[in-house]
Amino acid sequence: MKEMSELDTIAAISTPPGEGGIGIIRISGAEAARIGAQILRHPSGKRITSWPERQVRLGLVLSPEGTVIDEVIYFLFKKGRSYTGEELLEIQGHGGYQNLKKILNAAIKAGARLAEPGEFTKRAFLNGRLDLVQAEAVIDLIRAKTDLAHQVALTQLRGELSAVVQELEDQLFEILVPIEAALDYPEDDIPPLVREQTANKITVICRRLEELLANADQGIILREAATVVLAGRPNVGKSSLLNRLLGEERVIVTPIPGTTRDFVAETIDLDGVPARLIDTAGLRESDDLVEKAGVERTKEIMKEANLILVVLDAGEELTPAEEEMVINSKHKPLIVLNKTDLPAVLTEEELKGKFPAAQVLSVSAKTGAGLTALKAAIREVLIGRRDFEEHPVLVTRLRHKEALEEALAYLRSVVQGLSRQQSEDLLAIDLRAALEALGRITGRAVSEEIIDRIFAQFCLGK
Amino acid sequence: MQKYFDVAVIGAGHAGCEAANAVAKMGFKTLLLTLNYNNIAFMPCNPSIGGPGKGHLIREIDALGGIIGRITDQAHIQMRALNTKKGPAVRALRAQTDKHLYQETMRKHLEKQPLIIMRQGEVTALERTKDLWRLILDTGVSYEAAAVIIATGTFLRGRVHIGSLSYSSGPQGQHPSIALAENLEAQGIKFKRFKTGTPARVRKRSIDFSKMIEQPGDWLEHGFSYWLPWQPRTPVSCWLTYTNERTHQIIRDNLHLAALYSGAITGIGTRYCPSIEGKVVNFPDKERHQVFIEPEGLNTDEMYVAGLSTSLPEAVQDEFLRTVPGLEQVEIVRPGYAIEYDVVAPEQLSTSLQLRSCPGLFTAGQINGTSGYEEAAAQGLIAGINAGRYLSGEDPFVLGRNEAYIGVLVDDLITKENNEPYRVMTSRAEYRLSLRQENADLRLTEYGYKLKLITDQEYEAFLQKKARIQEKLRFLEENYLSPNSPEAIRLQEETGVALQQKTSLQQILKMPEIKLSLLWKILDQERSPGEEDDVLENMVKYQGYLEREEKMAERLLKTEAKKIPPDFDYDAVPNLSMEAREKLVKFRPETIGQASRISGVSPADLTTLLIWMTRNNQP
Repeated sequence: MKEMSELDTIAAISTPPGEGGIGIIRISGAEAARIGAQILRHPSGKRITSWPERQVRLGLVLSPEGTVIDEVIYFLFKKGRSYTGEELLEIQGHGGYQNLKKILNAAIKAGARLAEPGEFTKRAFLNGRLDLVQAEAVIDLIRAKTDLAHQVALTQLRGELSAVVQELEDQLFEILVPIEAALDYPEDDIPPLVREQTANKITVICRRLEELLANADQGIILREAATVVLAGRPNVGKSSLLNRLLGEERVIVTPIPGTTRDFVAETIDLDGVPARLIDTAGLRESDDLVEKAGVERTKEIMKEANLILVVLDAGEELTPAEEEMVINSKHKPLIVLNKTDLPAVLTEEELKGKFPAAQVLSVSAKTGAGLTALKAAIREVLIGRRDFEEHPVLVTRLRHKEALEEALAYLRSVVQGLSRQQSEDLLAIDLRAALEALGRITGRAVSEEIIDRIFAQFCLGK
Repeated sequence: MQKYFDVAVIGAGHAGCEAANAVAKMGFKTLLLTLNYNNIAFMPCNPSIGGPGKGHLIREIDALGGIIGRITDQAHIQMRALNTKKGPAVRALRAQTDKHLYQETMRKHLEKQPLIIMRQGEVTALERTKDLWRLILDTGVSYEAAAVIIATGTFLRGRVHIGSLSYSSGPQGQHPSIALAENLEAQGIKFKRFKTGTPARVRKRSIDFSKMIEQPGDWLEHGFSYWLPWQPRTPVSCWLTYTNERTHQIIRDNLHLAALYSGAITGIGTRYCPSIEGKVVNFPDKERHQVFIEPEGLNTDEMYVAGLSTSLPEAVQDEFLRTVPGLEQVEIVRPGYAIEYDVVAPEQLSTSLQLRSCPGLFTAGQINGTSGYEEAAAQGLIAGINAGRYLSGEDPFVLGRNEAYIGVLVDDLITKENNEPYRVMTSRAEYRLSLRQENADLRLTEYGYKLKLITDQEYEAFLQKKARIQEKLRFLEENYLSPNSPEAIRLQEETGVALQQKTSLQQILKMPEIKLSLLWKILDQERSPGEEDDVLENMVKYQGYLEREEKMAERLLKTEAKKIPPDFDYDAVPNLSMEAREKLVKFRPETIGQASRISGVSPADLTTLLIWMTRNNQP
């Protein structure tokens, strides 16, 4: 999590997304009541001057322009007595997402900062209201974006990845312990290292790690949501395509922190796969400093994206800039030919001929034609045709993926070292490094365990 | 009679001798007290010094200006190079010594130090008087010292067990130290009980060596010390034989008589020096155990029976010994025994080896819960240095885990619940490849010189050696072999390695097949003296691994740089787990790094602690 100022007052929509009877906005921090005073009014329209603690009141929320957004109930927790441990204002409005977003916007205009994911929990932790394990559990729950992601999270919770990794650790300990024992007790009876057999055993472990890693990207997408960027010239219909995609799916998450001024990002559920759609609308080369910064950020987002949709207008000729966009999109480009309800100037066949590697899909954001196929195609590019029930153990955290990759690299070095007659001390260093890396997943302390195992397994010492 | 000293050292074993020597070299008037002047630097266990980890410690002590390496070199009767094929990190020297010669050499060395006064006497009480400690002896004499180092080994409330026989005693029939233990306890110092043991000593002429396997020594080009000219002695052999099922049966049949199993002993023994009854019980499937017969010295008929440490009655010892091939007619000179003793609970120690609650009071050696002469000597050196620095008002001298095995040892001592006597092992070192025996001087001698433990003359020799290594390194970097040069052809003839392009000597040396000695031969260059070529070769060959360890060490240093104030209020930190809070209050780590190594302090606890410290503007 980024280091953020913990002095800010933060605000966010706290209820699950989707249409509900009511929705909750929470504002936490020293400024909560002041912000409340700015956006809330008595039903009579008068300003609110007293904030009795934990008393439920009826009120109106005003937009920055002074119009009434919603009729709400609200109540205030004093510092030290709320979930976060800070002064906290809770506003319960009517449940429509657009409505809640307007209230949130009003709070932000009045001086609140949009909370980062999990930031309420972080504050609760920092103020001693939760311990770290509880805090992490809450954050994971908050972050489970789709049912499938939720299932995977549950699998994790049951510790299946951990169990698989622990088994691999045990096998590695069995290889490492006799080596270590012999290094520290050169004059005791310890079976000598059989290089070929050891290399074979480690190769099997490497293969298992490779299998786990093969699914890691998909696992991470399931947990963190894939980033899908809609790119294209202005007026090709990106925004309406986005609205179409969103309109048919339930909207899950609010704007990406830090980029709210430039991008609209919403998460949709593609048959269990969460995808965050980012519209780069309105951004073009510009002399305007603010827009320039925006262009930089666009480039950054494009770089991090899991998939780039290049949206083209069927009613117009392909421009050189668009051609470049297709060629530069780092993944297998997915071209979306929009406005196919209009007379065609640019056709699917033409594009396929021009970009044989690209997949081209014809849609009409206006009529909705081709959207089902588009969603299926996006899902497939992101996670393939995988049926996740076949792969119960999924790596869903980048941290875990990195640990597995590190362990794999060290083990490959051991296999190579074994065949190149590398000395045992170096083999032990790499084996240990692999175990340390896996220990970041399972929390096992390598050093102590080696010594315990040495003396449990071998009768040593004079 | 001189009554005032800067530092008083109680106990002249391996820790005490090293401590007194260091303090005196730093320029302080030192009193070294021993219970028995005949027993200075006595070796109550096996006559061997060194081995993996332990040999590294000896080298490090020597590099810092300590004495155990020099004395061992002078008193050795056999030297072996261990792990020669298992890689540079674990290569180690091990010496067999003549115990009597060892003691004599150490005594003579200390007697020559102008600032050391060595006396026989039993300290029965320590009293704090203003800024000084008063040492009261059983004879009524007393001394005063600004700092005191307690290095009493296994003597504090020592109790020997041989079968059902049990009596108050130090090792090998020496007088125990009881009054001092009671006095320290009354001052609030907490002790726990440890146990160790030793095997029988037997008469050489009663052994049939023809049934044993000879273990000859090696002729080596160097000993332990960096500073003494190496004078190898004709190696005296040790002998290897094995126990068998009959031995084990006798032990099993008499287990109820062993002090260790009858309930007579309450102290905790170590996995590192198990008794033979422990081995038979814990490893019932093992058909035989190694037994090494080692001479106690050149001018004695006593032999040490390594591997058969025991607390069984003498008659049973005699019976099982006779089942071992070569020992059928064996005559015991002294029986083996187990000994229980008091050790200072380690959470009372700071990294300087000072007792946190007693300013100017240091402890070193087995009293701190370690086993082994080498571990004791290392602590003696550190306690000595830090007593000196305490007197001159300087910060403690602390070595990092990335700098020395000594650093690993001290750090382990003060951050780990020691449930058994502690033994140094190479597997305890995270930076094993950096902490090699041959580069200890490059790692530590600079410190030794600054601490005044290394003389100008020694330092000059060290700088010259360093310069020679640098020069050779540059030579390897700057010189190349071309594919068809006569040298390249010789290289291919000797190793099968064919160069494809012009390659630097450094790159060539990185190939696993190429040894530096071979490279010198091909180039008609002289080899360097001693281990200088080893240093060079390891620096080049393992550069990648060494750089990796350096990166790891950077992370370590960051956590070590985050200091925790000594009076830090852990109760003020919300969210620490109960266990972590308890451990942190108990051990009082001096840095976040130390805290991270305390068992029971989870990464979550560390995060909590760090965030709290940052938020509350702790340094």
